[in-house]
Amino acid sequence: MAILNGRVEKIALCASLVLGLAVASSNEAEAQALAGREIAIGAIVPSSGHFAEWGRTNTVTLKMLEKQINDAGGVNGAKLRITIMDDAARPAQSTNALRKLAGDDKVLAVAGPLTSSACEVVFPVANQIGIVSTSQASSKPGVAKANRPWAFRNTVDEQILAQTTVPYFKQTFGIKTVAIIYDAKDATAATVGTKIMPAILTANGIEVLNASDLLSFNTGDLDVSAQVTKLRSYNPDGVVVSADYSQAVTVIREMKRQGLVKPIVGATQLISSAILKAAPEMPIIAPATFYAGMETEAAKTFVSTLTPLLRKESNLPAEIEPSMYDANIYEIVSMYVDAAKNAGITAKPEDLEADRVKIRDYMAQLKNFKGLGGPVSFNADGDAVKLFYIVEGKNGVWTDKLHKCSDPNPAACGL
Amino acid sequence: MSGTLLLQQAINGLTLGAVYTLIALSFSLVMGILGILNLAIAELFMIGGYVGFTLIIAGAPLPVALLAGMLAAAALSLVIEKIGYEPLRNAPLITPMLSTLGFSIILQNLATNLWGSDPLQLPGDMLATRIALGEVSIGAMQLLVIGAAIVMVAALAFVIRYTTLGRALRAVAENRDVARLLGVRADRILLIAFLLSGLLAGAAGVLISLHYAAITPYIGVETGLKAIAVMVVGGVTRTWGALLAGPLIGLAEVATVAYGGSQIRDFVVYGLMILILLVRPQGLLGGARSDQGPRV
Repeated sequence: MAILNGRVEKIALCASLVLGLAVASSNEAEAQALAGREIAIGAIVPSSGHFAEWGRTNTVTLKMLEKQINDAGGVNGAKLRITIMDDAARPAQSTNALRKLAGDDKVLAVAGPLTSSACEVVFPVANQIGIVSTSQASSKPGVAKANRPWAFRNTVDEQILAQTTVPYFKQTFGIKTVAIIYDAKDATAATVGTKIMPAILTANGIEVLNASDLLSFNTGDLDVSAQVTKLRSYNPDGVVVSADYSQAVTVIREMKRQGLVKPIVGATQLISSAILKAAPEMPIIAPATFYAGMETEAAKTFVSTLTPLLRKESNLPAEIEPSMYDANIYEIVSMYVDAAKNAGITAKPEDLEADRVKIRDYMAQLKNFKGLGGPVSFNADGDAVKLFYIVEGKNGVWTDKLHKCSDPNPAACGL
Repeated sequence: MSGTLLLQQAINGLTLGAVYTLIALSFSLVMGILGILNLAIAELFMIGGYVGFTLIIAGAPLPVALLAGMLAAAALSLVIEKIGYEPLRNAPLITPMLSTLGFSIILQNLATNLWGSDPLQLPGDMLATRIALGEVSIGAMQLLVIGAAIVMVAALAFVIRYTTLGRALRAVAENRDVARLLGVRADRILLIAFLLSGLLAGAAGVLISLHYAAITPYIGVETGLKAIAVMVVGGVTRTWGALLAGPLIGLAEVATVAYGGSQIRDFVVYGLMILILLVRPQGLLGGARSDQGPRV
């Protein structure tokens, strides 16, 4: 019996050695399966215009990722090439960028565009061409849903986020009444300010004092004194500011100037380090899927690697930190790289269309992708399923107050 | 609507009007008097603002920041005259206008690259003193902007009407060749006009950006267009017209935003401009059409 056992052990050892060699050889072959080829990815970011800061930090992020991947041996042996186009956040320019990336640069997939206004124009073209386009910032409800199957967004719908943000705002500051001001020229801000927030505030028993007369301003306005004087006349417990942070800064500074020091609530567009300087004593509540002070290991590594690179750029503020949209675009291109590694991409010119389809299907079926804040997948609408945080900005810092999964099933976010 | 609210909105409107008046003066000097369409003035205002703003943040006193902003804008204005206007002086009207538009875009890009697209903000409560007048209040910077608008309009009107430089400017505007025959150095006068225009734009930029306590590279375009409207409504040849038209446009804008919505703001402001021009093509204070000479 002992002899028999010894033989079995030897056979098992030999078998495992052979299997190990076979796996190693297969892994090695897989690791070099695309050697000599190039994985071309496109990106559309606004490096000029109103959102230039976001576009420029996105650019640094992508260059960092490209270097990291190529230094580590590339994508199964292939070199990663990220072609970045500036759309100045202008929808027509975004469409031209997509056509160029798809037609001239023959990229496999595109990260961007950033704004919902641009996505509303670019996504239908992406569908027409047959190329995946994943936005790093658009969060206006239904923008990807209306453009399936090629449109994705690595963001969470503002409707879902507001359903958690508003009750937190109410409970924390004892809010019974609010007044709303929004940027009428920004697609997401207008939707949040005129539809999402009024409905969710009312559903939570908060009275919108200017429900019949929502106050608005236009992107780029320098003077919002008239609107803030009117806001002040309502004497609300809190103020909804629905605008991207650079516009919101103008409103918040004017509020402070006119002595309207009240808690502020808004959407993901408010998340930035710049807004914290506008009136540090006024608490700002907003949702985020990433912020620079996050505690996960992946986020800490990302922030510590990217921050010095951002601060080296001469056209970015000296104290800049990675934004949520840097994290999102980093994840998007990482997903594409994973798809290239695992979905049977050949990266041959004659297989371009088939490779694009493989990336689309990979994205649609993606489960538990290791994002910077936790697992990421996509729902049927093409929007990200991921953890989000309700953060409070005060005295110059954002602090995480609570977190939740964007999907009704918390397990989808690893909770 | 309460009286207090109305009064506060009136103060807002007057301040906004003063902002437009300050920039309109710069346009008025070269566009109104000399007939030159320098679209880069809006960006000179922005650059002047950035220079002054940066110095204030660095701890410089307001007069130093103001002077630096004015000099920076004036220097750029001279560059525009030498490169963007003078070589194209005899080209069709649209050519130098496009050239200054090009400068405008370059300056905006320059500012975005130098200072970023994020708003540059004054720290804390710097220059945020407010004076309470019963239930309404007015900021010290608001008062300074309104005061500066009145003083600068008066100063420019005085220069144009009573000084040798003013007479030379008007002579060149009337007929460049005749002015030259009379001993006026037309080229130098043009250069001085651009210089003064830059100084005015720079001063307006510093005061306005400090009033709002924030500045972005994009503040020039829209404010500049409104300032052109103010100049036209006031009467392009009449400096005092800006002091009437500025508050008029400012009050109309504030009233529209407060009681109608910002979506119809531009419709009302530019609609008012068109209406006034239909009734009085020469503007509110403009004289006869012959007041304005040909382009120089």
